[in-house]
Amino acid sequence: MFEFFTLFFIQRALLIGAVIAIVSGFIGPFILYRKMSFIGVGISHGTFAGIALGILLGVSPLPVAIIFAIGLGIFIGFTSRTGKISEDVSIGILFSFAMALGIFLISLSSGYHTDIMGYLFGDILAISNNDLYLAIGVLGSVVLWYILRSRQMKYMTFDEDFAKIAGVPVGIDYYIFMALISLAIVVIVNFVGVILASSIIIAPAASAKSLAKRFSSIVILSIVLAEVTIFSGIIFSYSLNISSGPSIVFFVTFVFLLSLLAGKIKFIKYTKRNSNSE
Amino acid sequence: MIKVNSLSVRYDNFEALSILSLTIEDGKFHAIMGPNGGGKTTFIKALVGLLPYEGRIEIDGIDHKRYLKKNSIGYLAQRGSQFSQFPITVLEVVEMGRYRFKEPDHTRKNKAFEFLKVFEMENFASKNINELSGGQQQRVLMARALATESKILILDEPLTGMDPKAQSLFYDMIKRIKDDFKLTIIMSSHDVGFISEYADNIICINRELIPHDKSAKVLTCTEVSKLYGPKIGIVEHHHLHSEKDDV
Ligand SMILES: Nc1ncnc2c1ncn2[C@@H]1O[C@H](COP(=O)(O)OP(=O)(O)OP(=O)(O)O)[C@@H](O)[C@H]1O
Ligand SMILES: [Mg+2]
Repeated sequence: MFEFFTLFFIQRALLIGAVIAIVSGFIGPFILYRKMSFIGVGISHGTFAGIALGILLGVSPLPVAIIFAIGLGIFIGFTSRTGKISEDVSIGILFSFAMALGIFLISLSSGYHTDIMGYLFGDILAISNNDLYLAIGVLGSVVLWYILRSRQMKYMTFDEDFAKIAGVPVGIDYYIFMALISLAIVVIVNFVGVILASSIIIAPAASAKSLAKRFSSIVILSIVLAEVTIFSGIIFSYSLNISSGPSIVFFVTFVFLLSLLAGKIKFIKYTKRNSNSE
Repeated sequence: MIKVNSLSVRYDNFEALSILSLTIEDGKFHAIMGPNGGGKTTFIKALVGLLPYEGRIEIDGIDHKRYLKKNSIGYLAQRGSQFSQFPITVLEVVEMGRYRFKEPDHTRKNKAFEFLKVFEMENFASKNINELSGGQQQRVLMARALATESKILILDEPLTGMDPKAQSLFYDMIKRIKDDFKLTIIMSSHDVGFISEYADNIICINRELIPHDKSAKVLTCTEVSKLYGPKIGIVEHHHLHSEKDDV
């Protein structure tokens, strides 16, 4: 009986992991090429403030976290589009603030003895069906977005000025993208916690970037690498009975380092071949 | 026809450019000249809709902002401010210019390919643009500008980094596409010699419009000095291209 329950949780974790891998694979490469890799850190911490507020108000933390994350994502986007500062600057300031706010709110809700560690580092045993439905909903939106808007995203990531002149509604596309990143981060935070979330959306894309050349290959490879690392992380954590969040992040980082190495080897081979031919 | 009236472009409180009145006629090659920081790029960016401004610009009698909502302008940015490292193919770059056209994917690709041919870059269609040389990239971006099928082509110092031969080929090409596609070309450049020979009209800008004698197609020494400062003049040979460096 116990075995069965464990298996059920593991299956749900694997399923949500698979969903997250696809979401990250579609979004991550754009984040990378738009040089806003810090965004994951910013929004995941914003999510924490949302969760804390939900706990304080005694309502379900998830919807509050979603609103908070999207609000923060749009706000970060707004400050960087209209002001003279890049996304990373507002993120650097706002994520500390969000964390401070979160801790403050949690300490206010004294009666409630919350498992803060669970929110910070994730707990796949705490994943509910609602979390899974949310993840699948986000996956649907991301896939739809990729089908309908990835051409526009490519244009504006490559050359925003010309994209604008050519008629791409760059402002609208930008804010849609920010909202999708925020949704994706909420789902990932549910999975591996606030602290570990950012690497999952960035690292597979970064690994794929040093292995593949075409954008479509980078997206596909990101998805594959994310699947492999998340699955390995879950299975590893289960068999060693350790926390799954850190375990996944280990694998994600390990593959990233491997990809750097592979990129280097490719480069050395290339230069060797060229110097031999002289 | 582009009509500019009481134009003022600011960066915060700094007025980088003010033009009282200027008319840019159709079907001609207009050269914009002026010193570094004179406001050429500022003017061009305002024209293509990348910078907010005060005053009035009309294109073909239509208010500029309304015109830009429906039409693209063929635009080539000044080098160094062009694009990111995003992996995109040469063909896709040219396809950008066709964004407003409601046409199926294969038509868009075919059209883009045709414009690549104009610049003899069709063999590079599936290459990543970041793997081309600067001059090759410039041609692809020219193809993209033309692919908009706009009657107006605005080029911001397209000759930077080109060797003398490429420059003169470039001018021949400009003349050719101007006639083939019946374009109005507006182009900024520092090359007094070439411009004098090829341009139909010269617009001198140094934070404001600098008047010059329009009937003499060539800028005189005094006019060049007025534009660039008293210590600089030009050698009055108009046919020894190779001896003329940037002023
Ligand atoms: N983004 C900006 N913010 C503030 N000031 C700017 C900005 N861009 C340009 N300027 C200022 O506006 C003035 C005109 O610049 P602009 O780039 O239009 O000159 P330019 O004629 O194109 O020069 P160049 O020949 O070097 O290309 C300069 O004094 C410049 O310092
Ligand atoms: Mg300039």
